[in-house]
Amino acid sequence: MMIPSDHFVRFYNEVFKFLEAKSEKDLRDYWLEISRHQEKHCLELFKTKGLKGMYDYWEHIRIEENCDMTLTLTDDCLKLEMHKCPSLSKVLDNDATPSARYCDHCEAWEAPLLAKAGYYCVYDLIAPDIPKCKMYIYKDKELCEKKRKEIAENNSL
Amino acid sequence: MRYKSTGELHMDFHGATNTTIDYIANKYGKEALVDIFHKVGKDVYKSIHEGLKNDDPSELIEHLNYYLTREKADYTLTENEDGFVLDVRKCPAVAHIKSLGLEVSPYFSLQYVEISNALCESTPWQCSTEIFEDGRYRQTFSRRK
Repeated sequence: MMIPSDHFVRFYNEVFKFLEAKSEKDLRDYWLEISRHQEKHCLELFKTKGLKGMYDYWEHIRIEENCDMTLTLTDDCLKLEMHKCPSLSKVLDNDATPSARYCDHCEAWEAPLLAKAGYYCVYDLIAPDIPKCKMYIYKDKELCEKKRKEIAENNSL
Repeated sequence: MRYKSTGELHMDFHGATNTTIDYIANKYGKEALVDIFHKVGKDVYKSIHEGLKNDDPSELIEHLNYYLTREKADYTLTENEDGFVLDVRKCPAVAHIKSLGLEVSPYFSLQYVEISNALCESTPWQCSTEIFEDGRYRQTFSRRK
């Protein structure tokens, strides 16, 4: 039986649990491998077209992956607001146990790739069992750090 | 059927599956990959596995027809008095991986074999799989004698 493309994330979830049982390093090394794989699809686009290239990439993903997501592009930031993540939603709608680390994979593959293109990102994750999050991408590292502090302060309230 | 996806298809996930299969097999060995596929077969597809335990292959047949049709596979599924035969002449996953310019992992076809074996484990059903070239495979699901 072939794993349908629709069910990839449930296979992904099983791989995470297998690697998580080995060690944090095993899990992170795999996410880096996925990041290198994604470079083939995105790195040149991100390097040459910057935030607009990223907008175009995630707009394509928004449609193909059936994401309920709002993309907001300004001169210095691309904001992705995921109202209902289809990936985590499928992992939660699953007869197998969801990995508690599932959400961490996004930043783990995106941040290294964005860094190679000269960009910085910060995530505002709500909870590992709520399929909502926000990601902010900046060219300016200081703006990214400022947003990181703002998110940390808001989440500690 | 437990999972019935609708909407757009993101076929590039087959590329990520291929990368993952290669990565796990090369770093942890083929047996690690087999273990993961067995978890997929018995835990993710628990309802299909439970159906086979109860001698009911209807959800498995519905699943195969639904997803192979959704991904526009060239296939036939033929029921007979012993069970059914799935003949895939062009696996959409393999075709898409090739269209991405990626090399298909030598372990890629292990998913066909091992997920099906896991589904049938401890049930009245068994599966034999024949793998041919270029994403062609045939699976015979039959009741154990």
